[in-house]
Amino acid sequence: MGVPKIITLQEAVGLISDGDCLAFSGFTIWRRPVAMCYEILRQGKKDLHLFEVQGGFHSEVLIGGGAVKLWEGSWLAQEILGKTGVNMSRKQSEKKVIVDDYSHGHAVGRIMAGSIGVPFFPTALAMGTDILNPAFDGFANAGLRDGSHPKIAKEKYTIVKDPFYDMGELLLMPAINPNWGLVYAPMVGTEGTVRVLAQSYNDQDVIKACDKVIVICEEIVPDEFLRREPTQNIASGYEIDYIVVCPWAAHPTGSQYYYDTDADFLRGFNASTKKQDAFDKFAEEYIYGVEDHYEYLDKLGVKRLETLRASQATGYSSRVKRGTR
Amino acid sequence: MTASNEYAKIGEYKGMDLLAAAAAREVCDFDVVFAGTGLPMLAIGLAQNEHAPHSACIYEAGSIDGRPVDIPTSVGDARCAYQASCAGGLFEAFYGQLHSGYVDLGFLGGAEIDKYGNLNTTYVGTPLDCKVRFAGSGGNADILSFARKTVLIMVQEKRRFTEELEYVTSPGWRVKKWPSGEYVPKQEVYGKFCYGGPSACITDMAIFRFDETGLMYLDTVHPGFSVEDVKSKVGFDLNISRCSGETKPPTYRQLEILYKVVDPEGIFLP
Repeated sequence: MGVPKIITLQEAVGLISDGDCLAFSGFTIWRRPVAMCYEILRQGKKDLHLFEVQGGFHSEVLIGGGAVKLWEGSWLAQEILGKTGVNMSRKQSEKKVIVDDYSHGHAVGRIMAGSIGVPFFPTALAMGTDILNPAFDGFANAGLRDGSHPKIAKEKYTIVKDPFYDMGELLLMPAINPNWGLVYAPMVGTEGTVRVLAQSYNDQDVIKACDKVIVICEEIVPDEFLRREPTQNIASGYEIDYIVVCPWAAHPTGSQYYYDTDADFLRGFNASTKKQDAFDKFAEEYIYGVEDHYEYLDKLGVKRLETLRASQATGYSSRVKRGTR
Repeated sequence: MTASNEYAKIGEYKGMDLLAAAAAREVCDFDVVFAGTGLPMLAIGLAQNEHAPHSACIYEAGSIDGRPVDIPTSVGDARCAYQASCAGGLFEAFYGQLHSGYVDLGFLGGAEIDKYGNLNTTYVGTPLDCKVRFAGSGGNADILSFARKTVLIMVQEKRRFTEELEYVTSPGWRVKKWPSGEYVPKQEVYGKFCYGGPSACITDMAIFRFDETGLMYLDTVHPGFSVEDVKSKVGFDLNISRCSGETKPPTYRQLEILYKVVDPEGIFLP
């Protein structure tokens, strides 16, 4: 049992080694540790292995920026703000990222198994599809299932017959225990208790499954405050290794009760970064060309950020114009 | 609501309105519905405000039976969880709800479909020869495999209605049995886990359903289109012998609910 250490964004990312396996908090365009992903590019990390129940803007940044070698997960896009992960599509087509596909249920089962310390998870979801086609096993085709890679299972899945209740055949999916869990949470307590203010997604599972966990938060609050309502919290301090304080760290993804998703930013990114030189231009402007996260926020400006700020009544902004009326 | 239950006439509604009304009719009262972003949100919103007030909606990020006052634009949105009975995470959605057998109805879209209701949402090409990568399965394969009924929402184009998919993301009524990959009836792979499958496919031109053998047939054609129009936009030999006529347009009351209650901001409606 340890106590989480408060460090800077630069120090936190400096702990990650090239080739490490990472998993993230959040869901599609919500509660992603974006500031940490920008810093990963600034520090020039490479050959990263991402395990993602599903990806989003943050994955597009890491992949577009050339930091990723292996990607496994079920989905990568920005929902209606970008129906395809355009950087991922380009990099996979160019064979610069090795991809292994799962269904959401498979990926959820894998991180759940990792989080509770069992080696596999049984599931009957998404059987009979090309997700399970042995010829399309991307990691096997790259020779990575030879047992010498500690974060890659020796088989993508196996089919077993229920020995107990004669339910027939189902899948066993291997657990995953990434090296690093990069978790965005709005509030962390002084002792490291973690709270999120909406759907919990897979955040607890990521915290428990990963060898080491960095939580990047909007603010540190007295642990006593979070302990008044323990049912609202998702993790205890001894499960967390490092804490980084970084306001608006999830932008342009949203953080319920703090800020809404920045739809214009996300839509614009998706529409404009199909080609590598266009991504590079984006990265130069928003990632490499700024000194630190505060300069990034300065660039976005007060008006933009205030428009995104969430209502304390509903958890989302009442000021963003979302539709045509 | 003051508008009548008479059907609107051509020119008084838009294509999206008819799709939303047709999709909403697939929802029964008390159904547990697993929905995604976009048209499914309009459909479940319309159904809950009309004929299916007790239907419950699950979104895959973990909100259960939310009562949004503002239509969500993402399934992870705080708007989904407003007034929800529970707001958990993905494990709750995929295992606590779907795998455990609570889900009556799913709504899904896809880039391509075959005549057994298999969907591709992942590739142009295959992982070995990827020309374009779409988003991937997400919950698509899971929902189609386990919901009792699933309504598939597609764009009617010949290249999207294809004899055989290069890549099957999600299982229809005939699925691949591994390791050989031969197509067999879904029941043979799923056994006691076979709770149902695709029940309807709604496009911008027609509604299709699936026969006793799991094969797609034409059910109704939307006003303004002919059976021949539809046939020319399907890449396999389509069974038209069971066509029962024209798709019912939205009613004035449905239009009022859609535009005044469900999506007044004009997020998904034109």
